[in-house]
Amino acid sequence: MMRISLMLGPFDLPYVQRALVEIALLSAGASVLGTWVVLRGLSFYAHATATATFPGLVLAAGLGFSPLLGAAATAGALALGVAALGDRRDAGRDTATALVLVAALAAGVVLASDVFHSQGSIESLLFGSLLTIDLADQAAAAAVGALALILGAVLGARWLAVGFDPAAARALGVRSPLFDAALLALVAAMAVVTVQAVGALLAGALLVVPAATTRLLVDRVGRWQLATAALALAEGAVGLWLAVELNAPPGATIAVLSAAVFAAVAIARTVADARPGRLENAPAGTAAP
Amino acid sequence: MSRTLIAAHGLAAGYAPDAPVLTGVDFEVRAGERVAVLGPNGGGKTTLLRTLSGDLRPLAGTLRVEGRIAVVPQTERSRLDFPVSALDVALMGSLSTLPWWRRPGRSVRRRAREALAAVGLSDHADRTFGDLSGGQRQRVLVARALVQDAPVLLLDEPYVGLDAPSAAQLDGLLARLASDGRALLIATHDVEQARGWERVLCLNRRQIAFGSPGEALTAQVLKATYGAELVEVAGGGLLVPPHHHHDHD
Repeated sequence: MMRISLMLGPFDLPYVQRALVEIALLSAGASVLGTWVVLRGLSFYAHATATATFPGLVLAAGLGFSPLLGAAATAGALALGVAALGDRRDAGRDTATALVLVAALAAGVVLASDVFHSQGSIESLLFGSLLTIDLADQAAAAAVGALALILGAVLGARWLAVGFDPAAARALGVRSPLFDAALLALVAAMAVVTVQAVGALLAGALLVVPAATTRLLVDRVGRWQLATAALALAEGAVGLWLAVELNAPPGATIAVLSAAVFAAVAIARTVADARPGRLENAPAGTAAP
Repeated sequence: MSRTLIAAHGLAAGYAPDAPVLTGVDFEVRAGERVAVLGPNGGGKTTLLRTLSGDLRPLAGTLRVEGRIAVVPQTERSRLDFPVSALDVALMGSLSTLPWWRRPGRSVRRRAREALAAVGLSDHADRTFGDLSGGQRQRVLVARALVQDAPVLLLDEPYVGLDAPSAAQLDGLLARLASDGRALLIATHDVEQARGWERVLCLNRRQIAFGSPGEALTAQVLKATYGAELVEVAGGGLLVPPHHHHDHD
């Protein structure tokens, strides 16, 4: 008993408890939305919208307004730009997204160093400050998470059908640009609230990596979403505990842990697929002859 | 006489208004007809199907389509690594009939299971789509079209990659769909197979011929349709060489 309570010691601290609640909220919201991000090939877009929050956050800190508002403004601008490019599937869309991502990082650094002289805050804006989460951050994560779950339940079948067969989407009556625009807007909003916890550069640790990991193991959408929420919660809680124990930055610790789990699962999956007679159960792209 | 489901007059189709891929398309398709859409790679088969499905706008001429259209794409194109079962794919056909805020309910799921039974796949409803064989995937996509309850089906090279038993099974299924009163446009490279269907539409950047196979499939038409791809064989016959698959997207 003594040993267990010592191990769980960090979770007695109020600021660690607040961080844990934030992790739980984001696991149910951001990580479940992450399944749609991975399925629809929006991982880079999700990373870019999160990074685009950086200059907004620097502006908000410098001018003294809400960081959520600043982050939403610059991430929203990027989302609108990507939506305006429409469903161009060529390299043009990715190139434009990459350019904006670089410009956003550069603008944030210049604003912080030369305009507001707030270089000290750059690290926490880029890599998160999970241990200083407050009630407003939690409320925002809960609100966007609830919206994501509701929209996913209502529009999920359409997001799935368009991703599965874009050419037939119009004939199926699911080509309305509003369905995809809702998904893009939702990912941007989720990136904004995720950034509060793990920073502009590490939002993918919650938004993309858990869903990409469980995708290697699960081959139905519903189960995938449940497994992703559970994995994100476990990785977040363990990462948070490790960070406090090792006095390491929590956002980065969670990101490293998630990436390590992804690598381990990917290797295990590859080994399992290579063994003869195991192809039957493989979920990903291993068609029977 | 059965009703006309598709009427195209002076139709031009393509991706850019100043560079049509296909011009001078004039044909009518009635309920119960299987129409073979023949032509070489790049001849405009896929462009025509995409225009009929509403994915591309006609560049010129008129196009009238009665009722819903269902698309049965090449299976290679549909995502094999998608986390969906055969039943999930069949259910996608219901989205065209449901308002946007509605999810497929119990009666729709029953209809999707019936459609899978109609294509001979009741036992495979819960299998992952990507794990099915090529012929089974093709039939799942036909089941999706059945759930869509569309009188017109567009099939893009449905026989590519199928072994003989799977092709025969698909043949029987398409014959049944036509006799139920549906119109089927089937892009294919198999001229011999097309001779067994009700109509042929020959395309090579323009419409070469349209009519019953007996009238339309003359040596001149085949030469104009396939040009250099055509091989003359001993005894005076003409042969279209086996198809090399190209993705037109």
